Amino acid sequence: MISNNIKIKTQDLNVYYGEKQALFNVNLDIHSKEVTALIGPSGCGKSTFIRCINRMNDVIDICKIDGSIKIDDKEIIDNNVDVVRLRESIGMVFQKPNPFPKSIYDNISYGPSIHGLADNKSDMDKIVENSLKKAALWEEVKDRLDEPGTGLSGGQQQRLCIARAISVNPEVILMDEPCSALDPIATAKIEELIDELKKSYTIVIVTHSMSQAVRVSQRTGFFHLGKIIEVDTTEKIFKNPGNQMTQDYITGRFG
Amino acid sequence: MSEISHIVKSYEEELQNLNDNLIKMGSLVEKQLSDSMEAIIKVDKEAADNIIKNDAKINELRAIIEEQIVTVLVKRAPMAIDLRLTISTLKISSDLERIGDLAKSVAKKIKPLPHDLPEELIASLRRLGDLVQRQLKDILDAYLKKSKDLAIKIWKTDEKVDDLTHTAMNEVADFLGKDKKNLDLATHLLFVTKNIERAGDHITNIAESLFYLIEGEHIEGARPKGKDFDSNS
Repeated sequence: MISNNIKIKTQDLNVYYGEKQALFNVNLDIHSKEVTALIGPSGCGKSTFIRCINRMNDVIDICKIDGSIKIDDKEIIDNNVDVVRLRESIGMVFQKPNPFPKSIYDNISYGPSIHGLADNKSDMDKIVENSLKKAALWEEVKDRLDEPGTGLSGGQQQRLCIARAISVNPEVILMDEPCSALDPIATAKIEELIDELKKSYTIVIVTHSMSQAVRVSQRTGFFHLGKIIEVDTTEKIFKNPGNQMTQDYITGRFG
Repeated sequence: MSEISHIVKSYEEELQNLNDNLIKMGSLVEKQLSDSMEAIIKVDKEAADNIIKNDAKINELRAIIEEQIVTVLVKRAPMAIDLRLTISTLKISSDLERIGDLAKSVAKKIKPLPHDLPEELIASLRRLGDLVQRQLKDILDAYLKKSKDLAIKIWKTDEKVDDLTHTAMNEVADFLGKDKKNLDLATHLLFVTKNIERAGDHITNIAESLFYLIEGEHIEGARPKGKDFDSNS
């Protein structure tokens, strides 16, 4: 089911790293409670793009952004935006699982505690349990919550990171190649989880796997040299793309 | 169609190989159909035997194509134009095989025929056979050229195939009406006519598959339909 509600809207988004321009006039609508996959060759700007959505590029001194990104119609490319609040509503999962060197429990409770989401221990216990359940990890770790998160398998660590991301009730989850370090079984578990999570969250996933984009997303955007070349329903992109460049890329013909 | 080659050369070769086999299969089927038409009109029983025997070659090629397609699907997980090419080739090879079967079926009907076909029935049977043969030749050309315009033209011409079938069948029915002793021959000829018409239907299927391969969409509108044998309109 394709929704028509636009959660994130970018207009004429340009990003520069010093002299080098990384994104050129990107206009892209991300629909609410859907998975949008971003594909394109390495260095095409996909990761730069998603890092604009939670203003993560702010930490790079030489990075300059102009244009507009609206989330729920509210401009976020604005010095007055509370970036901490913004990141509370936008979770992020990276290519390599990066749990904190803390217990499984603390990995989840860290965010809610700094955002003041729990009044007491029992509230926090509930948040931890719910987040782990939503990330389909609870059954595997419920008896060892005090063990270090780093002791879990790669796939479990990635689900722990997803649980950590959703523990602060975000609205958007950004995933930057979340399965590229995982085996097919761990990948399948994450993909199953993405299917489940899209009912509650808007998800943007960067992936180099065409078949993963087809499996998990409802919309796909193709980036090339910092420009968005084509965005459409995933079915259209992979069955009958409108742009020759998209077709050449997804069929492995790129020169 | 894409003008740029795949980065992986062996993928390119696999698709080329598939294409070559389909063309090869197409020309075998073309020959089987034209041989069967000639054989039925001449009541050439020796030619009929050869046609029946040659059908195995078509089936063999179809099995090879099917296996190649399974390999491409599992190895390459084809996308977009490559996916449509793979799926369409599978469907087209299946339709070609069925046309081959129908040609064989026509050949099988030759054996029980008396030596001469009544002159009055030959003309319309020949007209129908010629049209279906031309349709098959054209659709194979259209496949080679990846021409959607030709595909649509062929698709639309099926209506004419239906009309010629209608005429041919009515003539056989009249022939039967003249003398009940004509029953055996008439029955065989009705089957033959129907087989040729069905070959035409498979050509229409191929036109649809080809259009989908080229455009990524299905031909719009209902299939053109001519008169039925039993309709009076």
